[in-house]
Amino acid sequence: MDEHLVSILTNIGGFTFIALSAYLLLLTGEISFGQQAFFGIGAYFSGIVTAMWGLSMWAAIPLTMLAAAFSAGLVGIITIRLRGLYFSIATLAFAEMVRLALVGTTWQVKIDGEMIGPNGSEGLGNIRWALDNNIEANDFMWIVLITLAIVMGLFFLMERSRLGSIFRTIGADRLLAETQGINVTAYKVAATALAGAIASLGGIFYAHAQTHVYPENFDVMLGVHSLAYGLIGGLGTALGPLLGVILDIGFLEAVEWVQGYRMIAFGGLVAVLLIFMPRGILDERRVHRLRMAFRTRKTEPPPAKTHDPAAS
Amino acid sequence: MLEIKTLSKHFGGVRAVDELDFTVRQGEIFGLIGPNGSGKSTTVNLVTGIFPPTAGEIIFDGRDITTAQPHVTLDAGIARTFQNIRLFNNMTVWENLWVAQNSAEDKKATNLLSRWMGGSRKAKSQVEEYLEFSALADKRDELAGNLAFGEQRRLEVARALAAKPKMVLLDEPAAGMNREEVRALDERLRALKARGITVLLVEHVMELVMEVTDRIAVLNFGQKIAEGTPSEIQNNQAVKDAYLGTSGD
Repeated sequence: MDEHLVSILTNIGGFTFIALSAYLLLLTGEISFGQQAFFGIGAYFSGIVTAMWGLSMWAAIPLTMLAAAFSAGLVGIITIRLRGLYFSIATLAFAEMVRLALVGTTWQVKIDGEMIGPNGSEGLGNIRWALDNNIEANDFMWIVLITLAIVMGLFFLMERSRLGSIFRTIGADRLLAETQGINVTAYKVAATALAGAIASLGGIFYAHAQTHVYPENFDVMLGVHSLAYGLIGGLGTALGPLLGVILDIGFLEAVEWVQGYRMIAFGGLVAVLLIFMPRGILDERRVHRLRMAFRTRKTEPPPAKTHDPAAS
Repeated sequence: MLEIKTLSKHFGGVRAVDELDFTVRQGEIFGLIGPNGSGKSTTVNLVTGIFPPTAGEIIFDGRDITTAQPHVTLDAGIARTFQNIRLFNNMTVWENLWVAQNSAEDKKATNLLSRWMGGSRKAKSQVEEYLEFSALADKRDELAGNLAFGEQRRLEVARALAAKPKMVLLDEPAAGMNREEVRALDERLRALKARGITVLLVEHVMELVMEVTDRIAVLNFGQKIAEGTPSEIQNNQAVKDAYLGTSGD
């Protein structure tokens, strides 16, 4: 496969994870400007696990996801009482704190005559697990895409399940969800932790594909993009954020003749969609219509019932 | 069943509810009426834990729920509807009922994981029953936001039923309904009573209140000015004054 295409597909995979994490929080009605923090934590933590501790990426994945879920859960608990704009600002502040902490952290050890570890704004390098194990870019892409397929599959399962509906009810009308017996606080903390773990997956793959990561990789723009992916693609299905990533990275960034105008086109796209499709291309109503169209094609609609007098 | 004891709620200097006392007995339909701004909706919000009272006590089924959060009051067995219709508009009728099955009984019946996945088959089959009850069976796959006004009101009642409540608080369920719809609502309220569900009915449509309730409490400026059977209330001078605006002159 063409090298350029492999790197694009790997990037699409990696960034879809952070888009999905922002999407999960959007479902519960929260706009997080801080998911890049968990992407960054994922990149750094997994890099430390493989480059400094010498474990494999397969061991780093669960360890990193746990660490990210734990830190995201803490953020969720701290921000329990914050809603709307205040939650957004708090997550943004947290992400900037993480980024600045990474800039200010130097912790290197000598491994085989080389200094390895986070080195302030110089970042964390030598994340060579893929190289050391002779995993080609092509194979690495498949690892990312297969993991993405699994995560997407879990999202689809969740969206058909009652848990997915519970998340959506919280996002649609928090008070109503509460009066219906849903412990909103507990579900919000759980969603935040889960979203952190998902974002960290993107960071893990990003770090191991790039082999070198910098604190500046995890700045606000990454968070803004991850939010925009769901808002562009649509909040009606997990395919929405994927569609958003494909539009941005697969088209705006990858196709040569639009390259220079990427940010202009992206910003314009967000603005136009927010006006005409505030919940994205694949929003709940369109997804419902598609689902119903698909269902009636499979099975004949039930015969119309005779008019029920109690209905009037 | 529901005991309200010297309950007060002040918003700044406004005494929205002021030392209110009343008791709803098990199995009855209890009406709560009063002019606009008399504290009826505030009382419902206090009982369902939307905000905590300034003073007083709320005892439900022998359990103190004065400061309980909304989801805890539902656990205790209280379901409600809203004055302004509140539904999950982007979900189907069926889903609206499905996600509302959060009664203590349903929670106990299956473990968390299987509830997350979809709940028991029995619970799902009960959704059909609620659809029948509210005559919405043919609208099951329609988005709640696309329903007609009367259908949305019926869905709210069906949803309250899905929480397997011991008591439902209905906040102006007849608002905006025509005469025929009110009559159907009357039957439905009696059907709730026949199921052993206690009903607290906040309502402005007097023909419904006088027809269907067993007892009535009348509020004015956050205070109870009368309590009794419908015929007693109809002949109460203080009530007439409150509604005609002649009291205190």
